[in-house]
Amino acid sequence: MELDLNLVLSQLLAGVSRAMVLFLLASGLSLIFGVMNILNFAHATMWLLGGYITFSLYEGMGGEGPLLLMIAIIGGTIVMAALGALTERFLIRRMYDRELPEQLLLTFALLLIVGDIIKIIWGVEDRSVYLDIEALEVGGTFINPYYFVIIAVGIAVAAGLWWFLQKTRYGRIVRAAVYNRDMVSALGIRIPLIYMGVFALGVAIAGFAAGVFLPLMPMALGVDIDLIVQCFAVVVIGGFGSILGTFVGSLLVGVVYAFSILIWPDGALAVVFLIVVAVLMWRPWGLFGTELRY
Amino acid sequence: MNLENSATQTTDTRRKPMGMLSVRVLALLFVVFLAAPAVLGEFWVEVATEILILGLFAMSFNLIYGYMGQISFGHAAFFGLGAYATAMLFREFTGGTEEISYLQFFVSLAAGIPLAAFGALLVGYFCIRLTGIYFAILTLAFGELLFFVVFSWYSFTGGDDGIQRLLPPPLFRDPVMYYYLCFVIVIAAMAVMWRIVHSPFGYLLRAMRDNQERTRFLGINTRIYMLINFVIAGSFAGLAGALWGPFTRSVAPTLLGWQESGIAVFMTLLGGSAFFAGPMVGSIIYTFLHAWVTGFTQYWPLTIGAIILIIVLFSPGGLLGAIDAWRRIRTRQGSSGVADNTLVKEEPDS
Repeated sequence: MELDLNLVLSQLLAGVSRAMVLFLLASGLSLIFGVMNILNFAHATMWLLGGYITFSLYEGMGGEGPLLLMIAIIGGTIVMAALGALTERFLIRRMYDRELPEQLLLTFALLLIVGDIIKIIWGVEDRSVYLDIEALEVGGTFINPYYFVIIAVGIAVAAGLWWFLQKTRYGRIVRAAVYNRDMVSALGIRIPLIYMGVFALGVAIAGFAAGVFLPLMPMALGVDIDLIVQCFAVVVIGGFGSILGTFVGSLLVGVVYAFSILIWPDGALAVVFLIVVAVLMWRPWGLFGTELRY
Repeated sequence: MNLENSATQTTDTRRKPMGMLSVRVLALLFVVFLAAPAVLGEFWVEVATEILILGLFAMSFNLIYGYMGQISFGHAAFFGLGAYATAMLFREFTGGTEEISYLQFFVSLAAGIPLAAFGALLVGYFCIRLTGIYFAILTLAFGELLFFVVFSWYSFTGGDDGIQRLLPPPLFRDPVMYYYLCFVIVIAAMAVMWRIVHSPFGYLLRAMRDNQERTRFLGINTRIYMLINFVIAGSFAGLAGALWGPFTRSVAPTLLGWQESGIAVFMTLLGGSAFFAGPMVGSIIYTFLHAWVTGFTQYWPLTIGAIILIIVLFSPGGLLGAIDAWRRIRTRQGSSGVADNTLVKEEPDS
């Protein structure tokens, strides 16, 4: 079979930009799981909610131009951070000393509730933002330059998260809480506040990601289900609690998905799950996770 | 180095099965279900059939969850495999004529069990190596994998069209007769299940749930027993799936999907995972609510989500757990000043 270079290039770009949304979601998921041991089933649904909120803010302000979109994204991110903090304070916080299945069920219930609330407020129509950008011609194919914006944003957030976790005082506290929350607590640091902050941060990143993706990816009911399952795949492949692992896992899943959709359209996800199964068998703690965390 | 058991080491006394309550509930349910068609109309007889089939499915899930302490998000894969085995044999036997003999009908029903058991053996072989959250994600991944295989294998499974026109033989086309067929089969399956969970094997499962590491110290190969239980649970799910096809006259790939798996989880939680009869009680609540609520609103996920949220927050033992706690408090009133938390730590009364 002759390989069409243009097709490969455009699929690669689509795959990498898909990887970025996966990364932005999975990094929050992984952070929350790493720090609080809570697997947030509703994470992608909150992403969806963030997208709808950003959309409404954008439309409410007139709905024109990239500048307004940026403002709307910032607004949406702030709203989602607040919602995340409230969710942690009133629901998640009650679950820390519960058993794993109960924690899973609580966030699963959130997924159902938030999904239907979106349906009540915004209806069943897809929502997207149209930005007037001229397509870029690269070697005979037209490519939406917005892909590059998204890839830049993804890398920036990855670098920012890494910097936050490795270099700042708060990042160090968060990392310390991953390993020994009792000790951190004994040092006089208020663990509940850290937990609330981490959950809000994770949800805020998700809301931010949804806003950034609005011009490329319509917000539609049900997309969240596809995404959350793939995010699980990403975190399992990369290893819970590792930003680098999440980044590599996202790239792997995004690109593999983009290419297998060419070969086996209905089963693209199945290929992703095959990788998950293989990784779980071989290294259950993920490619970049540490055995200790497993 | 090996921390895989950290999730299962906590001894949760809330989950100890209480035999006596289950016996009473089961006796009550037996009478109610036996007499139900006499008072119910056709619609509610069909709802009752659904309760029985999905209740069996949820009970098979509880073998893994309540008794073995692992949560599976891919249990519907075996329900779906059972349904497809039956449906595909049906298709072969009828050859498009809609006629099937009684022998062929029962052979098709029985075929659901071995295929589901085989699927569970394959999937379980991998899944039992992990526990806790990794077990949950791996079962989810395998379930979705099987879903996509069925979904995209048009020539063999019919793809997303599913398989239609699964008409049972004339006698069982009557909803009441099909209801009693399901009733008999589900009762028989429950009897076998009761026997299993009250055998030494069943107590071994509970031991693994409470502390897998310590069970291994006793010289028990926990992985083998987890696998056996996984296959048993898959087989019962397959039987439930086999009954489902002729009941709805069709099968579709969504029967294998994780939403279907979620139904078993919800039912078990609603009724109470610590009780043998819990999932069946949960099935009554869930299926009845579903039939009733979807009659006037499309916001079923919101409804069930809110119910699950309330149960998880305030009554994690489910309905039977709440009844049980209430019974204990009532019987000990006066004898002790401290009422609640200490009481649930008693040994089960059977």
